[in-house]
Amino acid sequence: MQNVLLFVDKVSTWVGQALSWLILSLTLLISWEVFSRYVLNHPHPWAFDVMIMMYGTLFMMAGAYTLAKEGHVRGDVLYGFFPPRLQAWIDLVLFICFFIPGVVALCWAGYIYAGESWAINEHSNITSEGPPIYPFKTVIPVAGAFVLLQGIVEIIRCVICIKQGEWPSREQDVEEVDVDKLKKMVHVKDEDIAKLDRYLQQGGGK
Amino acid sequence: MRKEVWFGLAIMAFVVILTFWALPPPSQITQGHLGLLMLSLIVVAIMLGFPTAFTLMGMGIIFAFGSYYMQTGGHTQVSIRNTLDLMVQRAYYVMSNDVLISIPLFVFMGYLVERSNLIEKLFKSLHVALARIPASLAVASLVTCAVFATATGIVGAVVTLMGLLAFPAMLKAGYNVKVSAGVITAGGCLGILIPPSVMLIVYGATAGVSVVQLYAGAFLPGIMLAGLYIGYVMVLAKIKPQFAPPLPESERFVPIPPANAAIAASYGPKAVPSLFRSLKATAAPGVPEGHARRQLLVALSPAIAFVVLMGLTWHAITKPDFAADISGIAISTGGTESTGEPGAEGAQGGGLAEPPQDSGGLAEPPTEPTAADQPKERAEAIAAAEQKKVEQKSAEAARTAKAAAPADWVRDPTPEAFWIVLGIGVALLAVLYVMMNFARLEIFKMLLASFFPLALLILAVLGSIVFGLATPTEAAAIGAFGGFALAAVYALVAKPREVSRPVWRTWIPLWVLFGVSVVWFLLLKFEVLTSGPPVWVGWMSIIAIAA
Repeated sequence: MQNVLLFVDKVSTWVGQALSWLILSLTLLISWEVFSRYVLNHPHPWAFDVMIMMYGTLFMMAGAYTLAKEGHVRGDVLYGFFPPRLQAWIDLVLFICFFIPGVVALCWAGYIYAGESWAINEHSNITSEGPPIYPFKTVIPVAGAFVLLQGIVEIIRCVICIKQGEWPSREQDVEEVDVDKLKKMVHVKDEDIAKLDRYLQQGGGK
Repeated sequence: MRKEVWFGLAIMAFVVILTFWALPPPSQITQGHLGLLMLSLIVVAIMLGFPTAFTLMGMGIIFAFGSYYMQTGGHTQVSIRNTLDLMVQRAYYVMSNDVLISIPLFVFMGYLVERSNLIEKLFKSLHVALARIPASLAVASLVTCAVFATATGIVGAVVTLMGLLAFPAMLKAGYNVKVSAGVITAGGCLGILIPPSVMLIVYGATAGVSVVQLYAGAFLPGIMLAGLYIGYVMVLAKIKPQFAPPLPESERFVPIPPANAAIAASYGPKAVPSLFRSLKATAAPGVPEGHARRQLLVALSPAIAFVVLMGLTWHAITKPDFAADISGIAISTGGTESTGEPGAEGAQGGGLAEPPQDSGGLAEPPTEPTAADQPKERAEAIAAAEQKKVEQKSAEAARTAKAAAPADWVRDPTPEAFWIVLGIGVALLAVLYVMMNFARLEIFKMLLASFFPLALLILAVLGSIVFGLATPTEAAAIGAFGGFALAAVYALVAKPREVSRPVWRTWIPLWVLFGVSVVWFLLLKFEVLTSGPPVWVGWMSIIAIAA
């Protein structure tokens, strides 16, 4: 069971990370377009459409990744005080009440929406002869499906937690690596931090 | 469970009970009551700690269905279809919103700037530059945070970085723990307030307000808050010195390189005169060839930048006004097109059927009419930022342009405000050079390496947004690209010499080419040159960026 859950985590992570490269191409595309338009006086009509498609894909496909990393914003007023079992109960009930209808509706509606777009071979109407827009609309149900898959995993995690009394492990978070990188950047070692802690515990800096 | 938990749960129960008590019996419920019910349930669900995104999503779906169900008189099929339509249209609206694109780009820019290995140098140079004022370490931390806040739109890694970097430094200097921690957390949270702020983009996109205006409005409060933090810390350090003791002499010491020390020993401590004297005389012992010349160039760079800037401004505001006889067109464009640079401003302000010196009045320099609420200094600062990049190259170009200009030009009289600004600038520069000794020259060089590139990037990004040169999206993309370049350059500087030298050799010609085309573009905007750069230069510079 745990292996299946971790595998889904990995899939979400991989999809999110692969598509996060879009931000780089988006930056380069807009920079180039700005340069081409202002300096060379040579704008491209399709640039705006491509820009929006890149951003929209990036935005939608990040949902499953964020859910896998527990990154969706929680209003942590009381949640942190609760014991794990109560946390899991709340999550379980609200996942079933809110998450499932919302995301299923997204997938379903997106499927109809994208299907209509495919049927009429829809092209963007921002410029004349705009690029085809049906692949972009297909992103909605696809992203919904990934979020739904990850959400089901989260629901199973809630059930496991209710049974065992503690949260099962998940795919290693990126943040730990990040803090290590930052420490290395400013040349701070763990001993330094420990030394500082001891200094504070001895009543320094009062 | 703890007391706070029971308290919170009691509040939630109270909200739910109150809502249900206030609702009329089911037969009289209208859609407005449903909205009220949804609001109270959202508050409760968010307080419970379920992810906000899914709370809102699920609530929206359930209550939209309920509302349609009531409206259509019980048609389940129609209600479901309407709800689904709303759902997907809203999702598609957010996906294809051209204002929201700038959010990931600004976040990316902030990420790159934060990780460009800049913060350590910036903090150290600010720390020595500000060593004399009270609570200098705290002020340096706050200034570093504020600078990074103007580069990022989120509360990002700056808090972590300053916690790792400035917190130990402050504790070592004997600062109070509470003061040090407060400085870092307060400073780190400036990121979301000072533009480019992600919060303001979301607000602008949701409320249908111009993000540019929000930025222009949020700038002063953000800077003011940072200023108040700094003022508070300084006053606190004056009143209670034990909270933030002054730095010992050993911490303030700036090492002077031996060559400069030799010059100082033989020609006196004032940096600029003694460098001049050492240029004339034969090289002092231990001073390498050309060293004094390079040092002098660095020391004089603010003066050079000032001269170029004032020269271009003068050129722009005294340029004869060709647009006057087509005033009908000029009026229609003058209000909407705010190109933001003094040159175009002067020309377009004059386009409103009046010569510039009259339209601006004597105290006001001729700035863009629609941007009248912008402080004038910002226009200057942004122009300065753009001009610093150009430095000597633009001076050369300006010379050639003047030679090529038609001979029958009669310049407009120079407004008085220009001379006032010029006088103040010259006085400030004079004070700067009288104060500058070799230790201060070292500090200036440190700032030049760490503070000014970032400040230029920030001013270029914010300036182009606020003055309407570019949309926030474009500015964010350019900023992210600039952050990329910055990170690359600092990463290369950190590498040992043998690795970096060949890379520099391929980069520099390409970047010079790119710089030339950007300078050309800026001069075109200032109406110094009349034609755009030839296309091949542009293409070459695109290749240059890609390399």
